[in-house]
Amino acid sequence: MNIVVLVKQVPDSGSERGLSADDKTVDRGSANNVINEMDEYAIEEALKIQEAHGGEVTVLTVGPQQAAESIRKALSMGPDKAMHVVDDALHGSCALATSKVLAAAIGRLSPDLVISGAESTDGRVQVIPHMIAERLGIAALTGARKLVVDGATLTVERQTDEGYEVVTAATPAVVSVWDTINEPRYPSFKGIMAAKKKPVETLSLADLGIAADEVGLSGASSAVVEAGKRPPRQGGTKVTDEGDGGVKLVEFLASEKFV
Amino acid sequence: MDFTYTPEQRQLRDAVSALGRKYGHGYFVEKAKAGQHTTELWAEAGKLGYLGVNVPAEYGGGGGGITELAIVCEELAAAGCPLLLLVVSPAIAATVIARHGSAEQRTELLPGFADGSLTVAFAITEPEAGSNAHRLATVARRDGDDWLLSGRKCFISGVDQADRILVVARTTDAATGRLKPALFLVPTDAPGLTKSKLDMEIVSPENQWLLYLDDVRVPAGALIGDEDAGLPALFSGLNPERITVAAMSAGTARYALSRAADYAAKRAVWGKPIGTHQGVAHPLAHAQIQVELARLMIAKAASLYDAGSDLEAGVAANMAKYASAEAAALAVDTAIQVHGGNGMTTEYGVATLLGAVRAGRIAPVSREMILNFVAQHVLGQDKSY
Ligand SMILES: Cc1cc2nc3c(=O)[nH]c(=O)nc-3n(C[C@H](O)[C@H](O)[C@H](O)COP(=O)(O)OP(=O)(O)OC[C@H]3O[C@@H](n4cnc5c(N)ncnc54)[C@H](O)[C@@H]3O)c2cc1C
Repeated sequence: MNIVVLVKQVPDSGSERGLSADDKTVDRGSANNVINEMDEYAIEEALKIQEAHGGEVTVLTVGPQQAAESIRKALSMGPDKAMHVVDDALHGSCALATSKVLAAAIGRLSPDLVISGAESTDGRVQVIPHMIAERLGIAALTGARKLVVDGATLTVERQTDEGYEVVTAATPAVVSVWDTINEPRYPSFKGIMAAKKKPVETLSLADLGIAADEVGLSGASSAVVEAGKRPPRQGGTKVTDEGDGGVKLVEFLASEKFV
Repeated sequence: MDFTYTPEQRQLRDAVSALGRKYGHGYFVEKAKAGQHTTELWAEAGKLGYLGVNVPAEYGGGGGGITELAIVCEELAAAGCPLLLLVVSPAIAATVIARHGSAEQRTELLPGFADGSLTVAFAITEPEAGSNAHRLATVARRDGDDWLLSGRKCFISGVDQADRILVVARTTDAATGRLKPALFLVPTDAPGLTKSKLDMEIVSPENQWLLYLDDVRVPAGALIGDEDAGLPALFSGLNPERITVAAMSAGTARYALSRAADYAAKRAVWGKPIGTHQGVAHPLAHAQIQVELARLMIAKAASLYDAGSDLEAGVAANMAKYASAEAAALAVDTAIQVHGGNGMTTEYGVATLLGAVRAGRIAPVSREMILNFVAQHVLGQDKSY
């Protein structure tokens, strides 16, 4: 089974993040850029499937030159090779345009399975996997907390607010995963050293047959009009126990979807 | 001059840091207080090849250098898990065996260092010979093809966790009749070898031991290299030891300072965070500078060592060890002060480092002996001893 894993470089969600003042795109210059956390789970899932069923795992990244370091990091976990789409014209691309580029790149790799994180910590739109599936005309099994591969049949437990749904599809398909699906491995030192020598194919938009004006800020289907800082955290809710403390606690947890 | 690490070294740093944080200082302290070892962490780090980064690739190791091993030591310590056995086993013992062991010893032992499945303690210190290694009284006598070792060792770390001990003994030079050092690998369960645990005021899952060797019989193959290899073999372990112990201190200091910085930014006693008072912030900033200076010297020493400049590396390694031990003691003391009463609790996890960083100014080589070294070898002073 040949698998493509989508890996995005994002600003570290653990530190201060912001938008550039001039064009309101994600500020990557001053940020500590890392692999999107959820993508590490996608990589782990791909590697587990490869270990059980064989085949090749390819990392696919659309992003600026500096994303190359995240690609190396992804490769250090174990994938065989990578494809990196880099083009200045991509700066400021919307989700629709990004999915077009990703779909074109995936088309060149023709995998049996595409695995991605369910969302990225910078964009958080959760639509890219669906858009790619739509563009490629294949099934989308999104928000998985469990994935079982049986020949050409994929069975997914799809995490929902209330519980989970069991969904199946035949390959080729796109599966997006949550961080409940596995425990990503740490790269071994040998993995880190081996990653240096793994092939990374770099492609431009022209290589993919996409015109510059179909992507980027100018070709975007949506625009960020205004952005502001999140208001400071409000004081928490105090539950006074008048005999019904337990009930109130559960009601609160339920309203926040913890239970 | 280039002050950047390679992308691979940066990735190693990130990976080890992530593994260390998965366990954390709470785990380290819990194990120490329960009299247990950090077996899970050691095994996982070993499996990932972090404990064998410096073992030659042909023996299954990472093929890196002391720069890489120092990164491992520093990042585990910076995550709250300063493991002294990293200094003893992969830094000293693996280096000595890789550089001076026979072909059989390398083939037999290095794969175990590569994946951390083999732990070797290092025993040089004796009750009557601490700083002065010329007074070592543990002797090795030939008995047929075997050797018989007798003597006492003290403060030997990790004997209960080790498979073998690299013992520094002395043999009689056939030509001159004088005693000269020789290194032997002694199994920890060898007949005639007994140990007793020293009670130490250090919160650590690793223990120090007194060793008694009473005619411990080892085969000819237990001698590292040959009888003349003793001194160079001993010296080959010194730079890796100093550099990695310095890295461990620097990591411990970073851990303490990051705890203190977090605390100072949040704790408000007069309405504002205490970190806004310069009386609190300046000591932290001062300690931070000392730690960064030490890290710079550690990087220099490791880089020189990996480039094969043993002599130059020696000066840098000693200075790095000195600077780092002083910086770590300062950092932990400052971190405790910033925490107020909480600084002395187990929960806040800074006073738990006091014993370890204080010991760092004594072991494996004391600050005074480093000052002696610099006074004599850099400043050209005669010595009084
Ligand atoms: C936590 C810990 C772990 C250890 N682990 C190991 C281990 O695994 N293996 C091992 O072999 N050893 C180990 N040691 C021992 C350590 O290496 C020695 O304690 C250290 O070398 C100092 O020797 P000493 O204790 O005999 O002190 P001494 O040599 O007795 O020195 C006492 C004091 O006098 C000073 N002094 C001595 N000579 C001079 C001089 N000429 N000029 C100025 N000052 C001088 C010293 O600096 C020191 O302050 C460990 C020690 C500790 C505390």
